[in-house]
This record gives sequence, structure tokens and C-alpha cells, in this order.
Amino acid sequence: MSMTPRERVLTALNRGVPDQVPWVENDIEEALQVQIMGTANFTPPELCEKLGLSAFGAHYPMGQASDGQAMQTKETYKESYYYPKKVTFDFVPPWIAKMGADQDTGRTYIEKGLLVSEESLALFDEFLPDPHHPARYEKVAEWIKQYKGDYAVFARIRLGASSTLESMGLDEFSYATVDNPELIKKIHLRFSEWSAQVVDHLNEMDFDFFWCNDDLAGNHGPFMSPKIFRECFLPNMRIVAERIKKPWIFHSDGNLFPIMEDLLSLGMTAIHPLQPAAMDIGKMKKEYGHRVCIVGNIDLDYTLPLGTEEEVDAEVRNRILTAGPGGGYIISSANSLTDYCKVENVWAMSNAIKKYGKYPLEG
Amino acid sequence: MSNLLIEIQEAVINGQQAKVDELTQAALDSGITPQAILNEGLIPAMSTVGEKFQKGEFFISEMMIGARAMYAGLNIIKPLLAGQNAATKGKAVIGTVQGDLHDIGKNLVCMMMEGGGYEIVDIGINVSPENFVQAIKEHSPDFVLMSALLTTTMEVMGKTIKVIADSGLRESVFIGVGGAPVTQKFADSIGADFFSPDAGDAVSKANVLLVAK
Repeated sequence: MSMTPRERVLTALNRGVPDQVPWVENDIEEALQVQIMGTANFTPPELCEKLGLSAFGAHYPMGQASDGQAMQTKETYKESYYYPKKVTFDFVPPWIAKMGADQDTGRTYIEKGLLVSEESLALFDEFLPDPHHPARYEKVAEWIKQYKGDYAVFARIRLGASSTLESMGLDEFSYATVDNPELIKKIHLRFSEWSAQVVDHLNEMDFDFFWCNDDLAGNHGPFMSPKIFRECFLPNMRIVAERIKKPWIFHSDGNLFPIMEDLLSLGMTAIHPLQPAAMDIGKMKKEYGHRVCIVGNIDLDYTLPLGTEEEVDAEVRNRILTAGPGGGYIISSANSLTDYCKVENVWAMSNAIKKYGKYPLEG
Repeated sequence: MSNLLIEIQEAVINGQQAKVDELTQAALDSGITPQAILNEGLIPAMSTVGEKFQKGEFFISEMMIGARAMYAGLNIIKPLLAGQNAATKGKAVIGTVQGDLHDIGKNLVCMMMEGGGYEIVDIGINVSPENFVQAIKEHSPDFVLMSALLTTTMEVMGKTIKVIADSGLRESVFIGVGGAPVTQKFADSIGADFFSPDAGDAVSKANVLLVAK
């Protein structure tokens, strides 16, 4: 029996077997969206329809100049947060950091985290928007109503881990693990309390799931020891996790195996993105597939940006046959579709998912 | 070996900055040479930190703390080592390639290389191939180390190696590459001399190449 895209996603998130493996992306950079659509003037469901995606969230150019990935923290942040100019479904706090911008591409990056001392905590009031300000919720509710149709819609939020790491800087954070662990806890708590209040509002809206983006690991493993993770991060992440009343996907790049049990104690519905360089999807499926839905694993280091269409096809088939059996798998890139992916490879991914993703799976 | 040197090693591995500072001073006061403090205290300690990271016993934050503790000792002995040829094993120019603005990986390699006894010339982020060439001319390094976090900028590593070759300087340096998307296969394809998946490994590979030189 054929399912709607939303039913397909929710079934897979619930570790059930949908009619076909759903495809969902955490983000598609706007320049690539425009390449795919041939115009900047389209709606989120039109993009889903064209590619075969089952859900939308993140941000869309909607006829305006495309932006790079949203790494925002400007003096104007609060206003642009309350009154977004473009269609967005994001509810993330700003980095409390000094931002730089590449002169050639305009891409922004974090030059230096600003939360480095007890005194710097005063910056929270300067940077964080009022989590109860109604304007953004009202606007996004209108967009959901206007565009949702049969698709699943997700909000992107954070549990506070990546906000803490980026706003301290990895060096200052590392030093604080021995000099002043209480500072890390305080910073994390402020971010987590903010997100928890936002989540209270989002729970009442027509979102189908949340995507919690909290990068805290590299290819080798988490940036911090499991002990520090348990002491400084987990209790604060739990503050947000316990308030969530929808299915949710936890996202962190890198190798999460050393802290997987701790992470799973947060009760997420799914884990994303399983970078092939850092995590083996076969191991993940075998050891944790009965406890959590798996999202991701199409390589963004080589296959999507540099590989051939045949390599994309083969990788999609391999991932579906590895993680798809028994359901509980949502296919996606191993982070997001960035503007440096070859557009023909995105089409190859779309075609391969349709070719190999129908249940019952081959073999 | 002096107990003080063993204590210095332990303090670096445990990331105890103040203790390393104290112990280094005490070692100098007791007549231990700066060279011995470097070669028998700080360098083996950072080597252990790198090994622990590779084995998954240490994480990035512990490597950073270890490096900070190492610098506490190094900063004391550096002025005393100045002018002694034996002070460094070799010299490395290091930078993140053009178009890439990430520096965490690069900084970790700087720390580990310096902790491994190398002199480091950090030429920063977003470094053009021409600036790598300029740095080679200016500093005559043994190694050129390039870092990239993005798949797109990774390609610039190949271009940089080509520009170095076109300048006639390729044979004068060993070129090492690293960064999240970089693989051995990619390193081979662009003609790099070595690839390191992490900062500790960069030191080990550099050591091997220097011996073979």
C-alpha cells in the first residue's frame, strides 16, 4: 500500500517498515536548491516533489538571493530571528562568537568564541532572542499551514552542546575542562534552558519531528572524554530532550560510538548522519538498529561532491541493503547537501533511491 | 633518567600546566640541561599523548590540555635552547589551504609537531599556493604540511603541490596532508609524500621521513 511522504517518514522514525525508504535532508544549501530547481522561486514542497524528498525544514530562498549555510550572529540577530525575511523552520540560538566572513564567497565562519569567563556570561542577554517572542512562531506556523500538504515538516533546534563548544572555542573549552568545569556547565545550561523554552512552543505547532543539531565529535571520536561528556553535557542536553514531545533526530558529525550508550539515554528517535569516514553503518544497524532509527551515510567527503553517478548509485544501493532491512532507515547525505555537491550526483541519488528503496527490498 | 624528567612527562600527559612550569624550573635548577628536558621530558610526553589519542584513550580536549602543559615547559627552555643547532629535529611550514578557514586541525598538528621537537612556521588559514611557495623560499623547511576540512578545498592541496613543483621546490620538502575528508588514496593521487589521519600520526610520519632523508 502506498504511503504519503509523511507516513513514510514517521513509520521509519518509529523503526517500522514503510512502503519505500524515505529520503530526508537536514539542509540543502540554497545555491544547490536553485541549481536543482532552475530558479530561486519555488516552494519547499515543489523541491520535495522534484527530488523525491519526504520532508522539509531548514530554509529556502523563495525568490531571493540564495544564502550560504546559516551561521548567524550579528547585532541584528534578534530582529532577524523574530522576523525572518525568508522561509525558515529553524529555531537555533546564535553562536556567541566573533564571526568572520570569507571575502570571496561571503561564507561566514567562527573566528573566536566569546564565552571564555564568568564575566562573559553577560553576553547571553545581548545575543539570545526572547524564546517567548511570538513573531517567529506565528510566521512559521503560517508557512507550515501553507506548504505542508502530505509532507513531514521538521524544526531544527539544538540541545546546547554545539552552542557551548562553538561559543567557547575548542581550545578554551578544553582548558576549562581542567581549570573551570563549572563554567562549561553554566554556559551549557543557559543554552539548554533557552532551547527547552523554545521546544515548549514548538511542541504545540504542527511539526512532525525535530532535528537537533549538536556537533560534538570528529572522525576519531567525541571532542571530549566520555567522563566530561557525562558530567558537563549530558545533564544539560537532557533538560531539552525531556521537554520534546515529538519524534526527534539527533545530529552530530563524527564518531559517536564511544558515547553511544550515553547519547541513547536521551531517548532520541533517530541518529544522523553517520559519516562513512567515522562510523560503520553495518555496525550501527547491527548493534543499535533495534533501538534507534538510522539516518544518513551517503558520503559527502568523496561520493556526492567528487564521485561519478555510477558510484552514487552503487553507494545508495549498498546503504539501502545494509540499513534498510526491517525498516528504521531514512536515507540522507552524511551531513547535508552542500553547494559543492555535483548536481548530477544529487539526481543520481534521487533516481537510485527510487530504484532500490521500495519494500520489500531486493535480495 | 632523572625523576624530575619522569615527573615532567607525567605532568604533561595529565595536562598539569602549573606543575610542568614548576618542574621544568626545578629541573633546570638541579642542573638538567634544556636539551634533556626537551628530549627526555617534553617530547616523549607528547608522543604518549599522541599515542593515547590514536588508541582512543584520549580525546581532543585532553590533547589540547597536554599541549598547553607542554608549552609551559617549552616556553621556559626555548630561550635557553636558542642558537643550539640540536634544538629542533627539523622545520615545518604549515597552513590551511586556500578557501578553507578552519584551523583546529592545523593548530593541533602545530602543537603536536612542536611537542615532537620540530620548529613550526604557522602561515595561517586560507593560504594560497603562491604563499606556500613564498614560505618555502623564506624558511627552507623540511616539511610542508597542508590542512583542509572541506572536500572542495581539499582539491586545492593538489593545486598547491603543482605550484610548488612548478617553482622547482618540490624536491626540497616532504609534503604531508591531513583533514577530515582527506584519505591515503587522495594523498597518493595528488602526489603528497604522506597523509596523517591525526596530529600524533603526523609527528610519527615526519620522524620516519627525516630518518630516511
